[in-house]
Amino acid sequence: MIRVERRLGVPRWLPYVVPVGSLVAAAVITAIVLLLSRHNPVTTYQQIYQSAFVSPGAMSSTFVYATPLLFTGLCAAVAFRMKVWNIGGEGQLYMGAVGASGAGLALAGLPAPVILLAMVVAGMLAGAVWSAIPGLLRAFLRTNEILTSLMLNYVAGLFLYYLIYDSASYWRDLSSPSAKVFPVGKNLEPSAAWPAWHVAGLVIPMGFLVGVGVAGLLLGVIKLTRMGFEMRVIGEAPAAARYAGMRTRRAVAWVMAASGAFAGLGGASQIGDFGHVLDPRGLQQASYGYTGIVVAALARYNPLAVVVVSFLIGALTNAGFALQGPQFPAGLVGAMEGIILFSVLAGEVLARYRVVRGRPSAPPSEPGRSGVEVDRAEGVPGQPVGEVAP
Amino acid sequence: MSDRQQVEPTGSNLADGSAQEGPPAREAARTAGGEPAAALEARGITKRFPGVVANERVSFAAAAGEVHALLGENGAGKSTLCSIMTGSYRPEEGELFVRGEAVRFRSPRDAHAAGIGMVHQHFRLVPSMTVAENVVLGWSQRSRLRFSPRSVEAEVAEVAERYHVRVNPRAMIWQLSLGEQQRVEILKALYREARILLLDEPTAVLAAGEVDDLFASIRRLTADGGTVVFVSHKLPEVMEVADRVTVLRRGRTIGTVAKAGTTPRALAKMMVGREVDLPEKVPDAGAGERPVVLRLEGVSAAGDLGGESLREVSLDVHEGEILGVAGVAGNGQRELAEVISGLRPSSRGRVMVRGRRISGDPRAAIDAGVAFVPEDRMGTGVAGSLPIADNCVLKSYRRRPFSRGPLLRSRVVGAHAARLMDRYDVRAPGPRTLVRQLSGGNVQKLVLAHELAEDPALLVAQSPTHGLDVGAIDAVRRVLLGAASRGVGILLVSEDLDEVLEMSDRVAVMYEGRVVDVFDAADVDVDRVGILMAGGQE
Amino acid sequence: MNSSLAVSLVVSAIIYGTPLLLAGLGELLTERSGVLNLGVEGMMLMGAVTAFWTAQRLPGSGPVVLVAAIAAAAVAGGVMALIHAFLSITLRANQIVSGLALTIFAGAAGLSSYLGQEWRLGGEAGRHQLQALNVASLKDVPIAGPILFHQDGLVYLSWLLVIVVAWYLYRTRPGLYLRSVGESPAAADAMGIGVTRYRYTHTVVGGALAGIGGSYFTLALSAQWTDGLTAGAGWIAIALVIFAFWRPGYLLIGAYFFGLLSGLGFDLQARGVQAPSEFFSAIPYLMTVVVLVAVSTGWAKRQLGVPAALGTPYAREEGS
Repeated sequence: MIRVERRLGVPRWLPYVVPVGSLVAAAVITAIVLLLSRHNPVTTYQQIYQSAFVSPGAMSSTFVYATPLLFTGLCAAVAFRMKVWNIGGEGQLYMGAVGASGAGLALAGLPAPVILLAMVVAGMLAGAVWSAIPGLLRAFLRTNEILTSLMLNYVAGLFLYYLIYDSASYWRDLSSPSAKVFPVGKNLEPSAAWPAWHVAGLVIPMGFLVGVGVAGLLLGVIKLTRMGFEMRVIGEAPAAARYAGMRTRRAVAWVMAASGAFAGLGGASQIGDFGHVLDPRGLQQASYGYTGIVVAALARYNPLAVVVVSFLIGALTNAGFALQGPQFPAGLVGAMEGIILFSVLAGEVLARYRVVRGRPSAPPSEPGRSGVEVDRAEGVPGQPVGEVAP
Repeated sequence: MSDRQQVEPTGSNLADGSAQEGPPAREAARTAGGEPAAALEARGITKRFPGVVANERVSFAAAAGEVHALLGENGAGKSTLCSIMTGSYRPEEGELFVRGEAVRFRSPRDAHAAGIGMVHQHFRLVPSMTVAENVVLGWSQRSRLRFSPRSVEAEVAEVAERYHVRVNPRAMIWQLSLGEQQRVEILKALYREARILLLDEPTAVLAAGEVDDLFASIRRLTADGGTVVFVSHKLPEVMEVADRVTVLRRGRTIGTVAKAGTTPRALAKMMVGREVDLPEKVPDAGAGERPVVLRLEGVSAAGDLGGESLREVSLDVHEGEILGVAGVAGNGQRELAEVISGLRPSSRGRVMVRGRRISGDPRAAIDAGVAFVPEDRMGTGVAGSLPIADNCVLKSYRRRPFSRGPLLRSRVVGAHAARLMDRYDVRAPGPRTLVRQLSGGNVQKLVLAHELAEDPALLVAQSPTHGLDVGAIDAVRRVLLGAASRGVGILLVSEDLDEVLEMSDRVAVMYEGRVVDVFDAADVDVDRVGILMAGGQE
Repeated sequence: MNSSLAVSLVVSAIIYGTPLLLAGLGELLTERSGVLNLGVEGMMLMGAVTAFWTAQRLPGSGPVVLVAAIAAAAVAGGVMALIHAFLSITLRANQIVSGLALTIFAGAAGLSSYLGQEWRLGGEAGRHQLQALNVASLKDVPIAGPILFHQDGLVYLSWLLVIVVAWYLYRTRPGLYLRSVGESPAAADAMGIGVTRYRYTHTVVGGALAGIGGSYFTLALSAQWTDGLTAGAGWIAIALVIFAFWRPGYLLIGAYFFGLLSGLGFDLQARGVQAPSEFFSAIPYLMTVVVLVAVSTGWAKRQLGVPAALGTPYAREEGS
């Protein structure tokens, strides 16, 4: 019989040990899976390392995958922090791409900075509108946002296909005879392409830098503002938030919209930084929205940590695509991401709780940390009156 | 069962020795007064929770046919001991004996098998199921697989009749009053043929008449050879119903005495370890002359499960006055407090605070000067996983000096928290300490601190001392009296009638959502209040 | 609408609704124990790939192989659910994130795809497929024949399971105990009911049923394996449980309603109705949103049937 007991304080090492430990644990478990299916884990890991960081252009390519993950990671992080479960980052990213490419096409001919700004705004707005649907439903009708946001992912995906493959939409290129047979989106003009930062042989897309800025801003909001304070209270103790007169429903709706705006910005960056065309298959192939959840969880919902983690998971995703083929196990990257998420969850629990085998409730092993806890169910407050060990 | 082992009844001197692992042979060692083997005995029980020793070498023995009281103030370790004796917790040290045989409970199931039944202070009932379904949960006299609502209802009705328990087997639990729910809990134990019944604070939820019913059932049980362990912190009822009394204090056994050989005063001293003198309000005859801070005019409101839980309540609270609201739990007091604090919308009537109307919006109530100490202090009154500092500005974070523009000024907040902790004696290492690490008393002081720091006109305090130990009760009462003397109008809602009487200038009695009468504290008739609380007219 | 169209619609509703019904019944049992498992999609995909592999590789006669394939799918789903059970029941991890993790782990780009490639299932045509049975030789009876007497084994199994689950919940003691565990684990525990044991059992059984539901895709609906072929059916199954107020009878109606919507597109297109195919494909997803909104408002606001302890871990030592 295994049991867990709650620790009273949150240890200082928690924010570092859990993610690192999770990655190590995931690597070990994945190695076992690989061994079981007669792959050599060492070579596989070497391959991943090579194609993520070492091969020519690998690092730049990792940034390509890290950029959308940075945005979808922020999307999940900001919502999950407040216990609002936006699983719709995927669809919000698509809608952001639709909005940004629409803006880019419509404003062709204007100066590049104007187009760029319009694409950013349109992407964020489209993502926010798409996420506001489940957000408002959750806030005002108490509809389960997990399922609604998820269903809208499928709808957004179908909408992309409709725009390019099944209609004569504004986004579709109908100018050439071949495009009528093999549907493609209209290409944006070069002036709508976002600049990239070339440094030491690396290409760092503008979107990534914007993402870092957004992450910093978000961290500031969370740590320093009243809104951040409200998010903390609403997420941790909704009853107390209502008691304190906070507008909890409004906050839920806004956070959901903000979350969708981040994913939408990721969609805009897909168009502006990389694709320059609305391409349903390209947007859907990597399931950035879902992977963003893994990024956010591994970052423990801290925006700045999301930056670092998006790079790591981006590297993994990059390797997955680079190595795709009969020699490299398909689905390995997804499975590994799932295992990472399991490990984060387990690690989080193991760090917050003590694991006890057999007999319940061992005596406290950390006298320095233990304090007095109120056992609500029993109505037995600790004694002596209100003393917490230093 | 038949061995005639003689057992030291109190075990208090055993507890001082190293008797934790006593082999069975030891049991026969003593022959104290030729008493038969105890029906239930705990010997040297120790149980620790992280940071707290809830029970330390606790011992006591209850005989067959006896009502044995476990007396102690809140936090003395009574509930923990009960949970150990019913298999919910496992002790770190010590042994249990049932009818002289050592037992080791791995789960509640084992305790049931040994004939021990328990009625918890907070009932363990499934609200969405019927009485009959609750009674037969986990155990069956007949089939282990098939379940037929009809036959189970008949079976439960039969058992209820046999033991003179008045309850409708088909009723849903959520439809029942707390007194009826308690009967279901007792019936659950009887259905399983429990011979030893543990009752944890059973009178807390009962009206006067229901208490008499309960005591009658207890006497029937013991007359029949059963054993009742009666857990309470209320001296008068212990003196009324118990044969012997074991007193616990701070997790230790103080001693066991026969009721005949003791006095309430002596018991009180054993229980608290010192003479207690809780602060009381000196009734203030002039309060009615001062301006009204709260006026309710015909206020009604719906309860959680639909239906009207608050019915046409009209009340006034004046500056500096404490208006006590007495009543048995579940008669609309919670709804009353929530309507005034804006957490629950009213369906009819008007709530006016200093002339401003508020309804269904906590923010409006706060802005109008309403402070609220909620019943669920840990879940509602504070955010447990946030530090003390954040909790100190739970309501005031919106205004200067704690925020400027969109920014929250954490240094100002921290300094404010340190001041409040000092002023309200919230004991913790510092403002960064998480609230869930605090004891109940300190949490309550923190709630009072953040509420009173806002200079409210009105304070609604719901069960503010419930579950606290004497030191904390003393502190909370002093804070309330201090606030009243500064002119804050206080609505004190409490299920503890003594507290209401001791702390109020006027007393309102609630029954089934209505205020049935209001008395001046100076000329209150306690018997009449008791009758009104139970729904009687005169 | 003539009767042949109606019959064909009902038949397609049943066929497309069957995986939803099976997975929904599993999730219903899991949620009744107080555990929310959002990993249904992943468990279904694992069931689908395992069943297909078994059907392709196991020698033997058709019926035997198919039964083995379904059993393998059940095992695969159950094993996946076990991971969730360990995390959410024993470790008391956040059930929402754990369920999502399961879907990512096992889902379209995860283990199911990995196995699909390892087992080289892509592009293979199904060797054994579930065939409609001609029950009591009544398949040619008008209307009732094709609907009631000409279905494959899993459809009949799903009908049987609806009855069994309903009987189990309301007419057996373990069913009563299960409901109490989902409603009030503290009460159940105090009465000696093993909360942890009930939760584990029903989470694993729920996973097994999701696995069987997934097997229907590769054994009956599509006769091949492609990554992510369930296309959100697992999520719709979760929504159906809410829609059904956690009652098996309503679940049957809901599953066939969504089955009808899923099949409707093909049917209408086949009959020459002009509309973009994406529109038809989106209907089930949009309807799920609509149904969830309807269930969360107005007439159903009283939260009929939600197991009160759904999603909350239980720990005796800390109270509840």
